Amino acid sequence: MMEILEYVANGLMLLGGFFAFSGSLGILRMPDFYSRLHPAGTADTLGQLLVFSGLALKIIVISLADEAAIDGLSIGKLIAISLLLFVTTPASTHAISRAAHLRGVEPWTGDPEREGTDE
Amino acid sequence: MSDPVLLINVILLVIAIMTAIAAMWTRDLLGAVMLMGIYSLLLAVEWANLFAMDVSYTEAAVGAGAATILLLTALTRTGTREKEGPNFHPTALLTVLVTGAVLIYGTADMPRFGDPDAPATVNVAPEYIAQNVGKVDAGADGPENDFGDHVPNAVTAVLASYRGYDTMFETAVIFTAGVCVILILRPLASSARRKTAQSQEDA
Amino acid sequence: MNSVELITALLILGGAFLALIRAVKGPTVYDRVLAVNVFGTKTVILLALLGYIGNRSGFLDIAVLYALVNFLGTVALLRFVESRRFFQ
Repeated sequence: MMEILEYVANGLMLLGGFFAFSGSLGILRMPDFYSRLHPAGTADTLGQLLVFSGLALKIIVISLADEAAIDGLSIGKLIAISLLLFVTTPASTHAISRAAHLRGVEPWTGDPEREGTDE
Repeated sequence: MSDPVLLINVILLVIAIMTAIAAMWTRDLLGAVMLMGIYSLLLAVEWANLFAMDVSYTEAAVGAGAATILLLTALTRTGTREKEGPNFHPTALLTVLVTGAVLIYGTADMPRFGDPDAPATVNVAPEYIAQNVGKVDAGADGPENDFGDHVPNAVTAVLASYRGYDTMFETAVIFTAGVCVILILRPLASSARRKTAQSQEDA
Repeated sequence: MNSVELITALLILGGAFLALIRAVKGPTVYDRVLAVNVFGTKTVILLALLGYIGNRSGFLDIAVLYALVNFLGTVALLRFVESRRFFQ
């Protein structure tokens, strides 16, 4: 049982790392500003959620295996950070996209003349 | 490289150096300010890795937060493009190289990391750990001492006794800095408010 | 023993590096702001992972501070880009 939980925690962490990395890859590779918002807003939020839940699960599993008291403060902090990022990351992405839209940044519509806004 | 923290430290420092070079190289000042914010974040992680938590807090709050806003406020008074011109200053490079060489030469005299015989740990530190500070012999019929004949907290003893003047003038410096910030920023705020009021009247 | 955490930390460092490239390249200002924001998120995750690897819960306090500073910094940058001044 414990081993399964530890595998789950490891898997959550690795999956979170994968999402965080692929989100950044999307920010680098996507053709224009508005499409770059997509990996930044979604992949990052999911990635941090997975990594933090993996960490919290791992703390629980290790203290259960050692029959020690569970470090509730650390888990609480992890949940607090995760919730904070869960709210602020989409909010700041939204704020950035709104500011860009109000400033008149044009989305790329597949015109091969200007490959995105990339120079 | 078997130590994972060491490996991460090396990668962090390499990325920090690359960020600093990019911040110097770019002509877009707004981009340079953002790169300096990233640089501060990297350095703060590095401080945390070296177990300097207080420095890390300061670097995160001041370097990434307050300094960015300060530089942006400065950019409101200037342009956001750097003037075209030569990017290479031999005198500045020479000064930096000499200073760096002197600093590296100075580290040769440092005691080994965590050395128990280092001057910092054998000089006055045992006195404070033994809580001897503030001990006065009041005699048998002297007044009662609230602190049990010594300053009960080692940190308090260091801050208020060993470096008492230091702490006092530090507080004075921080107060002066706060007054200066208020004096500099207040005219900006009031003139902006006047401008808004005027435009509202016009409309 | 800590290999999973190390691999995750390296993945996140790689992601942070890619975001840094976008912050340097980023043709518009908004690309840069986005990249800095993503970089801050990566730093928060990295700090939590490093705290777990080094078994120090003090890292989590710094991570909370970062999450807050990051959001405030993004909003401040956007206000500057929008209005070119802070005091309205």
